[in-house]
Amino acid sequence: MTDDDLPGNNPALLPAGLRDLLPPEAETEAGAVESLMDVFAAHGYQRVKPPLLEFEDNLLAGSGAAVAEQTFRLMDPDSQRMMGLRADTTPQVARIATTRLANAPRPLRLSYAGQCLRVRGSQLDPDRQVAQAGIELIGPDAPAADAEIVLVGAEALASVGLDRLSFDLTIPTLAQALLDDAGIVGAQRQALSRGLDRKDVAAVVRHGGKLADVLTDLLRAAGPADRALAALREAALPEAARALAGRLAETVAAIRARAPALRLTIDPVEFRGFRYHTGICVTVYAPGRREELGRGGRYVCGETEPATGLTLFPDAVLRAAPPRAPRARLFVPLGADPARAAALRGEGFATVAALDAFEDTSAEARRLRCTHVLLDGEAVALNTDG
Amino acid sequence: MTAPYKAAALEPETTGPLIMALPKGRILGECGELLDRAGVHPAADYADESSRRLRFPTDDPDLDVVRVRPFDVATFVAFGAAEIGICGADVLMEFDYPEIYAPLDLGIGVCRISVAEPQETAGSDDPTRWSRVRVATKYPTIARRHFAARGVHADVVSLNGAMELAPGLGLSRLIVDLVQSGATLKANGLVETEVIANITSRFIVNRTALKTRPEAIGGWINRFRTALS
Repeated sequence: MTDDDLPGNNPALLPAGLRDLLPPEAETEAGAVESLMDVFAAHGYQRVKPPLLEFEDNLLAGSGAAVAEQTFRLMDPDSQRMMGLRADTTPQVARIATTRLANAPRPLRLSYAGQCLRVRGSQLDPDRQVAQAGIELIGPDAPAADAEIVLVGAEALASVGLDRLSFDLTIPTLAQALLDDAGIVGAQRQALSRGLDRKDVAAVVRHGGKLADVLTDLLRAAGPADRALAALREAALPEAARALAGRLAETVAAIRARAPALRLTIDPVEFRGFRYHTGICVTVYAPGRREELGRGGRYVCGETEPATGLTLFPDAVLRAAPPRAPRARLFVPLGADPARAAALRGEGFATVAALDAFEDTSAEARRLRCTHVLLDGEAVALNTDG
Repeated sequence: MTAPYKAAALEPETTGPLIMALPKGRILGECGELLDRAGVHPAADYADESSRRLRFPTDDPDLDVVRVRPFDVATFVAFGAAEIGICGADVLMEFDYPEIYAPLDLGIGVCRISVAEPQETAGSDDPTRWSRVRVATKYPTIARRHFAARGVHADVVSLNGAMELAPGLGLSRLIVDLVQSGATLKANGLVETEVIANITSRFIVNRTALKTRPEAIGGWINRFRTALS
């Protein structure tokens, strides 16, 4: 093979996991992100915009450690220090909250939207550039705060037409509390954690020791919230785990009080992907969709400050949301009244100005993928079949 | 944009039947009775390997069965193309898909995944002195992980079958393969030197399906659990 045969020479080829967004999807995406951000803003979440790059030490400190292996790094030729390209925005917002906004009054409500990069996609989810739009609620450690994150998230998703959602609540620390209490350590803990993660009851029974029964019951309790809460109430839990279960029940009650129709499931011993989380966590699903629309939960901001947050993934949200009608495009022939065109723009049309005179205006309009043409001061819909 | 594919998204809520993926071959025969007890009654030709059909309705309008290669069961379920399935623990170990839950050990398809080598080389040297070893296998991940844990780099020769030939023909020093009775190894002059893991078949579930359709999926888990006891 000569160099000319290498597929890398095709200018359209992008590195794995990256893509171009074209019309009309790019506009749709921007619009959807703005709808989400509008709902966040309407609930008092003020927008921050952290930079794409930060010094590695800061970016990967604290909650950032969980994404260290997914972070692109490069050296800053200026300071000669290593920098990281964010793979998750939450650690950056946490840094802002504990440094520049350390004196801002609590509860501090912040929101953000932006792109993240990660080193590797997976076979199931090959994207390496992932958009995030999210909120962080910093300061309070209360069921009302955990519930607010879910409620605001649900309202934001409803604004893009997603009204049938399923929120899966978890307490990643519950399983850890049970294992700590039973004194399970080392290789047994590793094998047991893995079994729990894969809901592999056989492995949980094999490695669970005296916890085998309670863990098996909790594994089987995963599902609709009421059933799972009942199972948690009946389970023989040590004090620390009992407190966590109580907090979960209070959070469910707080959500139900405001949004009784919201579909809630609970998975009591799930801890997947919540490595920096310390309390109630949530994953957002849309029935019939195979990917997560968002996730979030309680974590520690800086050294000690309680916080919770929710990150939505606009790419997944858009794939799940009902399609939006693209903006109607109006062809404006040469010599048409500019004031009339401006008025129609005000009505929501995108106007496409002719730069030349055409014998068959409608044919030219169709060629340019316009939906309407301006004739005698009126927007006339084009028959686009022909 | 990403090339469009048939996305469940376009249908507002999943209304179609659940899909259960079953592995062709050895395990299919063994799970017939269990399926029957769990109330899965697929169209009669599902167990007929010569049938060209790949997707079979069952007497339950909410459940269809697909028959795929054992390695592909895990992939179908991981991607959510099938919500539930039956799959050997060897395949789960090899692919290690985080999207798959394995809530039930079905106790069928009993075998083990083992290291084997020719009679004449077995025990001829001390494996702790190896830096690397050439291994023929259809389980590259399991083989690499197993030897890496012993500080040995495995150079994997990926084969899809007839692994037992590889050492004799100079393709590799060892093989890592499924062993049921050991008869095939013996017939080819190989001995089993180490058991990596004991294997049984598992009832597997797609993670997102369990989260979003907990009633339906939970119902099937219970039916299989009852069928086992």
